[in-house]
Amino acid sequence: MAKKDPGGTDAAETVSRRDFFKTVGVGSLATSVLTAADAEAQATAPRAVGPGDVPIRLTINGRAQSLTVEPRMTLLDAVRNELEHTGSKRVCDRGSCGACTMIVDGRAIYSCSTLAIESQGKNIRTIEGLSSGNTLHPVQQAFWEHDGLMCGFCTPGFVMATVALLEKIPNPTPEQARKHLDGNICRCGTYVGVLQAALTTKGVARG
Amino acid sequence: MAEETRQVPEVRAAATPAKHEKYPWPEKPALLSTSVKRLDGPVKASGRAKYAYDIKRPGMLFAKVLRSPHAHARVVAIDVGAAEKAPGVKVVLPWRKAGDKVVFQGDEVAAVAATTEEQALDAVRMIKVQYEPLPHLANVEQALGTAAPSVFEGGNVKVGAAEENGDLAAGFQAAAHVVENTYNTQVITHACLETHGCVCEWNGDQLTAWVSTQAVHGTREGFAKALNIPITNVRVITEYMGGGFGSKFGPDVQGILCAQLAQKAGAPVHLLLDRKEEHLATGNRPSAYAKIKAGVAADGMLTAFDAETWGTGGAGAGSGYPLPYIYQFPNRRRVHKDVYINAGQQRAMRAPGHPQGCFITEVLMDELADRVRMDPVEFRLKNLPEQAPNAMWKAYFPIAAEMIDWKRRHPTGDPAPGPIKRGLGVAANRWGGAGRGTKAHAEINPDGSVVVRCGTQDIGVGTKTIVTMVAAETLGIPMDLVTAQIGDSNFPFSGGSGGSTTAASVSPAIRVTAGRARDALFARIAPQLGAAPEALSVADGKISARGGKTVSWKDACKMLGTEPVAVDGEWEAGLSASGTTGVQAAEVEVDVETGVTRVKRIVCVQDMGLVVDMKTATTQIYGGIISCVNFALFEDRILDRNTAQMVNPDMEWYRIAGMSDIPQIDVRVMNQPERGVIGIGEPPAVSTAAAITNAVRNATGVTIRSLPLTPDKVLAALERAGGTN
Repeated sequence: MAKKDPGGTDAAETVSRRDFFKTVGVGSLATSVLTAADAEAQATAPRAVGPGDVPIRLTINGRAQSLTVEPRMTLLDAVRNELEHTGSKRVCDRGSCGACTMIVDGRAIYSCSTLAIESQGKNIRTIEGLSSGNTLHPVQQAFWEHDGLMCGFCTPGFVMATVALLEKIPNPTPEQARKHLDGNICRCGTYVGVLQAALTTKGVARG
Repeated sequence: MAEETRQVPEVRAAATPAKHEKYPWPEKPALLSTSVKRLDGPVKASGRAKYAYDIKRPGMLFAKVLRSPHAHARVVAIDVGAAEKAPGVKVVLPWRKAGDKVVFQGDEVAAVAATTEEQALDAVRMIKVQYEPLPHLANVEQALGTAAPSVFEGGNVKVGAAEENGDLAAGFQAAAHVVENTYNTQVITHACLETHGCVCEWNGDQLTAWVSTQAVHGTREGFAKALNIPITNVRVITEYMGGGFGSKFGPDVQGILCAQLAQKAGAPVHLLLDRKEEHLATGNRPSAYAKIKAGVAADGMLTAFDAETWGTGGAGAGSGYPLPYIYQFPNRRRVHKDVYINAGQQRAMRAPGHPQGCFITEVLMDELADRVRMDPVEFRLKNLPEQAPNAMWKAYFPIAAEMIDWKRRHPTGDPAPGPIKRGLGVAANRWGGAGRGTKAHAEINPDGSVVVRCGTQDIGVGTKTIVTMVAAETLGIPMDLVTAQIGDSNFPFSGGSGGSTTAASVSPAIRVTAGRARDALFARIAPQLGAAPEALSVADGKISARGGKTVSWKDACKMLGTEPVAVDGEWEAGLSASGTTGVQAAEVEVDVETGVTRVKRIVCVQDMGLVVDMKTATTQIYGGIISCVNFALFEDRILDRNTAQMVNPDMEWYRIAGMSDIPQIDVRVMNQPERGVIGIGEPPAVSTAAAITNAVRNATGVTIRSLPLTPDKVLAALERAGGTN
């Protein structure tokens, strides 16, 4: 079974999704957190906040949102529970299934394993930002056409992982598509339709 | 433990029923058996679908469950004082009391509802429980051992009655070859992506529950019984649900806890389990073991089958499965033992019992075929039951063989040099499936719109789509005029979605109900068209009087004035059947240096009676095959042999196939419109693991008799056989 790493396994990528996690990783989980302004100085001057609620600002689908969360809250929970964007799903809650996939600064990430407070100052995109009104994003349309979904619980994560893939590689080979989508798990077994969707979607602009 | 329906047994009914008199399936359908995109595709692909997990109600609290860390223990004392004082906590509810036993890791002990999920999580950890650990059984070997402590009332092992046919001694006498081996399959968990749980809200004595369930009506009944309230006081809603696979038929303990917490708190409560709880406490497929002695005559006819079988369905639950599977042994005996261990109880899982029985029998069949030096397909054809509409293997094996180019198969053991060995294998499946009591309601409105209501649920298979298709087909109108409303226990009764019974229950009910609605419409508008109702017909959205006028559907419906047509209907015989047949073949590559198996291709020949929607039916077949690839290669619930703790209650070490693990899959759907609707959820999920195992045997020359086919088992078998090359 392949290593789950949907966003950044392509050789051309300079920073992989795994490296991304390393850079923002567990070091700051306990007590130290970052504000957007501190981002540059993160290695030298962590500022302790919490453990109670703290105000944060997130840019989600292009809109600035102010919310108050405990520093331990994940980006996924902040978006789901505080902002009521429930398209991103909590399934494994530890970065192995991809149902929570969001695109942050152009890269697919596991939002269940990313702290909300660390996501300040970044461009966060969720499934809710893809379609406008009743017009589906080409990737969503392709999932529908190719029946790349059944119960649908993994679908938003797979759609986001596919969007991240196609914004980087607009015409992937089957090998590239499989590798980029290996970070997501579907229990109903819709992989055949998902792969067809990833390989046939046209017109996704490079991110 | 709450009263609930946990199992949907395999249903059997007529293989080919007499045609329905009034509303038979059309001979030239406009929609049936075509490929229609699932109607909920856009709402799911855009993330707008609201699952139970996503429900948010005003003032809603979050709940967490405290579970036993011990495999077996007596609760001595529970102290909820600190938890009750914790920030945000509204209610702490013990489920066990002092003196009660817990019988597996994950058994429910208490629950907390608090303002935020984080607060509930903190508080549940503050509940102090004093346990007296008791002796436990971590696996079947321990439970069957002579020194096993007596853990379960009535014994750790329940021996079933012997099943016997024919004359076993004479059968072995007639055998030219006898094979004796032990086979086994592992415990796997359902691992639904949306965990079990619900949101409960009370309004006075009325409970509304948004539940992730495969049975809105069964779950309503489960709540009513456990809470001791009338069924009419409960409403269960399941608009979308994130996978069940046989494990979600009732409220379960967490549902009852959620309802009680909500009642005590006077606020809605959200209680959805986490991933570890999902693995530990919401069901699994039991293990299967079989010690078999089987005989075959020199001409390749099976003669005798003698099996001692056992398995565990956890703490006090059964582990039965069909054996031998499909093939005919004229003389046979089998004795089965249910072995109880301290682990979560089994529940129905995708063709309960069949994947186990299929694996054991089909691997044995290849071993027997080799003894008589026959091709596995030819050997199977000799020993299959007579062909019938629900037993089509003799027709399907040659099709599957053709699809996978079986003639290139080499004898057991790939002679090619190098570490990568290639092989082919086959296996067959069967399933009952059938329709049963389902009721529906239909309304035709004066604006031409149609509403169909049915208390079934869409567990991800496209039920809403087929309800809409059948209604539109019957009324002769486009699908976009029809709104299907399902997933609510306030709608007319339908059974749980299990055992591949939904399509065969719901399609006939909708056919009859929509047919009656059409007839009622004709009766109402016939006078205005100057024709007898019997002279009217509808097709392509137009209503025509024989030898007279034609009006559009919309204009005809305007003639209703202000009063819609409203009719009820139900499932009737003659539109559904029972008994499916399937054959699958697998092509694999095995690296004999690393032991890693890669499935390159699966071909599948499968029937399901009348296909309603070719697109979603085909997707279900892909899904069944992929679930059985998981069973073959990856999934394994591993319990620590000392503590009976699950060591992989997550989604990285509990392994499920990802995109790179998926083979090329080619499906040949055999449509049988004359039989009526059956169902396709279970059958394709049965035989893939057996076909893969036989292909691995064909590739490597060694037989792995234990699932999953992990590299260590492959390497060990090769080593026993004397080297890798």
